[in-house]
Amino acid sequence: MKILETNNLSKSFGGIKAINNLDFTLNQNEVRGVIGPNGSGKSTFFNLLTGIYKTDEGSRIFLNGENITNLETHLIVERGMARTFQLLRLFSEMTVLDNMMVGYHLHVKYGILSSIFGTRTTRAEEKRIREEMMELLVFIGLIDYAFMDATELSIGQRRLLSLGRAMAMQPKILLLDEPAAGLSPVNVDNLLKIIMSLRKRYSTTLVITEHILKVVMETCKTITVLDYGTKIAEGTPTEVKNDNKVINAYLGEELDDDQVLRELNS
Amino acid sequence: MSFSNKYRINLYWAAIIIILSLLPFIVPNLYQMHLINIICINIIMAIGLNIVKGFAGQVTVAHIGLYAMGAYSSAILSINYGFSFWMALPGAVIITVIAGAIVGIPSFRLQGPYLALATLAFSESLRIYISVNTDLGATIGISNIPPPVIFDFTFNDAFLYYYIVIPFTLISIYFSFKILKSKLGRAFKAIREDQLSSSAVGINLRFYKTIAFVISAVYAGLAGSLYAHLDPGFIHPNNFTLQESVLYILMLVIGGIGHIWGCIVGAVFITLIWDLTREYYQYQLIIFGYD
Amino acid sequence: MKLIFKFSLIMTCFTFIFTSYAFSEGKIKIGVSIRMISDIGFKHGKMMEDEIQMINDSGGINGKMIELIFLNDECKSEKGIANAQKLIYQHNVHLLIGSSCSSVTLPMVDVSAKGGVPHITPHSTSSKITKRGSDWIFRVPISSRFYKSVDVAHIVKNVGLDLAYIISADSASLTQAEEIRDEIKRDHGKQPLMFVTVQQGEMDFRSHMLKAKSMNPDALLISAGTVAGAAKALIQSYEVGIPASVKRILGSGASKQEIPTLAGDAVKGVYFTAAFSAADDRPIAKLFTRMIKDKYGVLPDHDFSQAWDLIQIVEHALRKADLKLTDESLASDRTAIRDAIANIQNYQGLASGPISFCADPTPECRDGNKTPVMIEYTKGGKDFVTKVLGTITFKPNHGL
Ligand SMILES: Nc1ncnc2c1ncn2[C@@H]1O[C@H](COP(=O)(O)OP(=O)(O)OP(=O)(O)O)[C@@H](O)[C@H]1O
Ligand SMILES: [Mg+2]
Repeated sequence: MKILETNNLSKSFGGIKAINNLDFTLNQNEVRGVIGPNGSGKSTFFNLLTGIYKTDEGSRIFLNGENITNLETHLIVERGMARTFQLLRLFSEMTVLDNMMVGYHLHVKYGILSSIFGTRTTRAEEKRIREEMMELLVFIGLIDYAFMDATELSIGQRRLLSLGRAMAMQPKILLLDEPAAGLSPVNVDNLLKIIMSLRKRYSTTLVITEHILKVVMETCKTITVLDYGTKIAEGTPTEVKNDNKVINAYLGEELDDDQVLRELNS
Repeated sequence: MSFSNKYRINLYWAAIIIILSLLPFIVPNLYQMHLINIICINIIMAIGLNIVKGFAGQVTVAHIGLYAMGAYSSAILSINYGFSFWMALPGAVIITVIAGAIVGIPSFRLQGPYLALATLAFSESLRIYISVNTDLGATIGISNIPPPVIFDFTFNDAFLYYYIVIPFTLISIYFSFKILKSKLGRAFKAIREDQLSSSAVGINLRFYKTIAFVISAVYAGLAGSLYAHLDPGFIHPNNFTLQESVLYILMLVIGGIGHIWGCIVGAVFITLIWDLTREYYQYQLIIFGYD
Repeated sequence: MKLIFKFSLIMTCFTFIFTSYAFSEGKIKIGVSIRMISDIGFKHGKMMEDEIQMINDSGGINGKMIELIFLNDECKSEKGIANAQKLIYQHNVHLLIGSSCSSVTLPMVDVSAKGGVPHITPHSTSSKITKRGSDWIFRVPISSRFYKSVDVAHIVKNVGLDLAYIISADSASLTQAEEIRDEIKRDHGKQPLMFVTVQQGEMDFRSHMLKAKSMNPDALLISAGTVAGAAKALIQSYEVGIPASVKRILGSGASKQEIPTLAGDAVKGVYFTAAFSAADDRPIAKLFTRMIKDKYGVLPDHDFSQAWDLIQIVEHALRKADLKLTDESLASDRTAIRDAIANIQNYQGLASGPISFCADPTPECRDGNKTPVMIEYTKGGKDFVTKVLGTITFKPNHGL
């Protein structure tokens, strides 16, 4: 069943077409990989989906059949789409637990007035949320750091927290923007394990962008490849790996083509 | 939190409330009582400012304008419309809250120094409006603002007025803690830390910013009204200038922005400095740096 | 634990302010709250301090020394109120002097009345101050109810009734301008051509001046709030082309020497009323002018002369009062000083007319000086020249 669909999605910054007439469909429960060289428009794609950037004329985004094009971010998020950021953007001067609890924001069962005047039920709800978030922290392995500020965490722990915060939102679709960037291989495996078990637990549909191609190759049945904002290929990992356009696109990338070739063939 | 721990904290609060309610009996003179009332009003102001600035991270200079709004609304309601203190105070708070919601609008698009400038414009134009508007007493000020009355009992000196001010102060502090520890406080802090991330977890930025301004306006309106009815019941636009605004920001900075106890300590400390420096006027120039 | 710690921190702060102030046995304590943010404010304070020092050096008042306690109110009522309370209840002063600004003196009157402390103001002119019915307030300067009548008389007789007001929104100027406007309306049925209020500290009046010009007024009533502003306003009135035939009428602040210095020729023909003129050629006035010039480096305006007169009046009164100066006698000493001030009759110092007080808590009794001087500038610049047009002594109940 289609859960997310874009038609003619475009975004230009001045002269640069960061996303160019992208048609993209995502089915429920799918785990989709989106890859592409640096600057190919992956993050921009996520920013468009979540309403952080406004699309160009003529673009359409449908979530569960509803047109959500250029809705405000918090309204899109309310409809069940969550994301992580490539640069994490944690709430750094807040505790790990508070970061998680902010993630739970939309599901808190009391309103503004109860925030101020509420008594027993509010307190009970707060307690319930705290326990639920603590449990999630156990799951992602950050429970020991619950009362530390996010700034005090290591990079790997921050990646986990950013994932945890997004999962606390209990989204239907979760967009992960390079969730493994900067992690050591051991940590990458750990992260993948956590991602997959979270997915099972909340039956979330996933879209993952990643430079560490291993991540997408191993976890995704379908992979979409972007280059200069255009979809140049879509298919199973094997199909994509052997696609000439894809190989050329990656060859064109000067910086780490050696590495990419190695990874493509691994 | 274990039972005994909770019990202990309640005990602390009980002790604090008892000491505070006996304070007028140990304070030796009326001036010191007056100073304590001013401290309490400043505490309300500081923790109100802390909500919008410390929690939600919105750099506002409008707080002093909202304070003036509260003071003038309360004065006008009780003098021109014959409201009692108990009617004028909520009236003033409502008027201030409306102003606060409007003042918050620039925060939708502006941040940091730009927001400060926009809110400064509100404070200063309000003050200028008051000082050239003869219906608002202009620069002659408004005098004879009546003190609170309960039945036949008039709270017309600092010792008595303290019993009006202190409950409001404690309630203000209490609600400030409640806000901090709720979904609302978390949303505020999240906005302070990262607006983009906040919206990405589903926080409606405009709504929550408005709420932050509105809540701080409640505090400012309350403090303004309490200040207006404080003996001898006189208000004047010169008491709501940029200089005062800076003092309130200092209260926050001294105690550490975002910390409720910090603001309280800051408010006490700055008010004491304010008191001392009027005496050693030469040094005041050095400390606060005004001409 | 944390809570306790923080609370005790606050309590320490509280105890810090509870340092009880001892009565200073045997001294006469006088509290002063004035504006000391400007250079000239400091000099007024310094002059009072020097005068009191001279009294002390020559043996004090019947052997009793005077202690002067200065507090700065910056012309802010919030601070003025706090100062008055601090002086009355913490320093236990016998006499309160203050403030420079009417808007600060006004609430201080209520504080001194409640505290039962004689209170005498050096500079405040707003007629409202003595109308509050306080038993304890005395005014050395001239009330705005006298000033406005001289202005009105002058306007009616020599100027004409089509007036344009450009008035600084400070308390004293505004009160006086409103009183002039209301009296002309009441007695001559004439509305002003325009009445605009401007911010204190405003420097650009050209738009108002242009508007005034288009209305062809007989006179401009200007009060700019600051000396620089007043000088600018005068210059700008000529810049926009308002002819010299339109009279420029200023408030009593025009007596300050900076105005002719800054405004230059634009000050010529400017009319104002004050309580003292540096052009006064009585011997005492000449001596005073020289003394101020030598000691403080400025020509005295009437704020200097009034502060000086105030100290002389206080000295007279203290010498007459029977003071015990013990802890127990505080209230009776305060009453004695009040009664002694109320008994001052026909004090003639620098003031433009004799200063007299009496016992009733009414403006008739408590507005001491009833004789405004009408002054005109005949030459501007550094070596400006003023001409005294005359003085009028009003009946005590005038304008009530
Ligand atoms: N806010 C912006 N303003 C201008 N140009 C932008 C903006 N955001 C992205 N771009 C441009 O759009 C193009 C796509 O950028 P994007 O960040 O989406 O690439 P990416 O695929 O996420 O790259 P990376 O792998 O480095 O994360 C780039 O050329 C980038 O410079
Ligand atoms: Mg990217």
